[in-house]
Amino acid sequence: MSAYFRQVCAIVKKDVLLEVRSRDRITAMGAFAVLAGVLFNFSIDTTTTRPQDVAAGLIWMTLIFGGLLGVGRTFHLEAQDGAFQGVLTSPVPKDAIFLAKVIANFTLLYAVSLLVLGVFALFFSLDIGPNLPWIMVILALGSLGFVALATLFAAVSTGTTMGETLLPVLVFPLLVPMVVFGVGSTGRLMNGRPFDEVEGNVRMLGAFAFAAVAAGAVLFRYVVED
Amino acid sequence: MWPGTRRDCTYVSPSAIYAATGVDTNAPTESPTLEAIGLVREYGPVTAVDGVDLSLDTGEFLTIFGPNGAGKTSLLGMLAGATRPTRGEVKISGLPISLSEHDWRSKVGILSHRGFLYARLTAEENLRFYGELFGLDDISDRIAEHLERVGLADRARFEVRQLSHGMRQRLSLARALLHDPDVVFLDEPYTGLDPSAAGLLRGVLNELKDGRRTVVMVTHNLTEGLQMATRVAIQVGGRFVWEQDASDIDFAGFERQYHAVVEARS
Repeated sequence: MSAYFRQVCAIVKKDVLLEVRSRDRITAMGAFAVLAGVLFNFSIDTTTTRPQDVAAGLIWMTLIFGGLLGVGRTFHLEAQDGAFQGVLTSPVPKDAIFLAKVIANFTLLYAVSLLVLGVFALFFSLDIGPNLPWIMVILALGSLGFVALATLFAAVSTGTTMGETLLPVLVFPLLVPMVVFGVGSTGRLMNGRPFDEVEGNVRMLGAFAFAAVAAGAVLFRYVVED
Repeated sequence: MWPGTRRDCTYVSPSAIYAATGVDTNAPTESPTLEAIGLVREYGPVTAVDGVDLSLDTGEFLTIFGPNGAGKTSLLGMLAGATRPTRGEVKISGLPISLSEHDWRSKVGILSHRGFLYARLTAEENLRFYGELFGLDDISDRIAEHLERVGLADRARFEVRQLSHGMRQRLSLARALLHDPDVVFLDEPYTGLDPSAAGLLRGVLNELKDGRRTVVMVTHNLTEGLQMATRVAIQVGGRFVWEQDASDIDFAGFERQYHAVVEARS
């Protein structure tokens, strides 16, 4: 195993272990997802609106707001007892730290996104069966892009006095392309349209996700260095 | 294109240059083990460290004393590569951090007054995590050895949050020494320790004076700091205002001397 991969694995394993033990973020995100699904269910008049027409947008909004709850706290656990300083002063490339954080946060958010999908499918009686694998792929790409940007900016906002308040202000404007392509493709697939119709959107979503990861890996060093 | 520039330039990393030219970055050099040149650290209008020069060879143990706000922790942060200097440079065995960050950081161990430990991981898991980051091969053996060394072998499976402050401090020391660093930085290691824990820490620090390492310690504890040191410096207002070999110091009168120096320079 290369040294780089070994260091990435060590940080991912540590982050997952800390989350399993504390369950702080997964509980907050999971509870938010379920409650948002319930509230949205009551907020829509099904006599005038078809649930499958609005479900995609609501799923993505729930994912983004819920994701901020969890990913925004990425560096709070690290800040306790200065542990992150210990990581930064070890011989780990900064991009390896970023990639590890993205992988750990992606694991967490993707689990929550599948929960969100299940909750909305239940409350909105969505028939997503035939296109479920593609919807899961789209949610994975969206989660990856979101996590890359949110992790980078969580590192920025943690070091400021405004903290988590600043995070949405920094991240939301950059999420517009992801929301446009994500909601567009998810909505059509939920309405039973074929994948060919949304293939372009999915490609753009994938490009956005990988561009966000690459940019984050390059910029992370400048964010965390004192 | 500007005269003298080439379009076909290829970036070659310093590590690759060392490998191609046969330079071993771990080989002993004529340069001092730790060298600081004109270190300055500014926080906005405040100058925390104001032009510190330092040169330490292997086997030297420098203790830095100074009042609160003298810039000791800022200086230690820069020496240890945790904080970027506003101006100046730190070299380890002649290498600046910018040339080979991986090798540079592998040679450094830091004991901060913050423990760098994860409260919800066990003592063993914390050490294993840092062992993986430092790319150690024999992690399990080293963990057992270092936990034994700091008297925490029976607490290996305790989460850090279940340990007392003194135990955490000892575990932090084990973490700092796990990769057998050439240069060790200690920031207030005696803070909050009871006499028994301080004695244990003293024993481990004495082991560091094995002639293979360079140690820099910042402390307010004059007695402990003097006992360990081969060189002593007093920092006031971001500068070294007094520096001497420990062998030339009158231990009995040092406290009076220290206060006189600090008051004169404050």
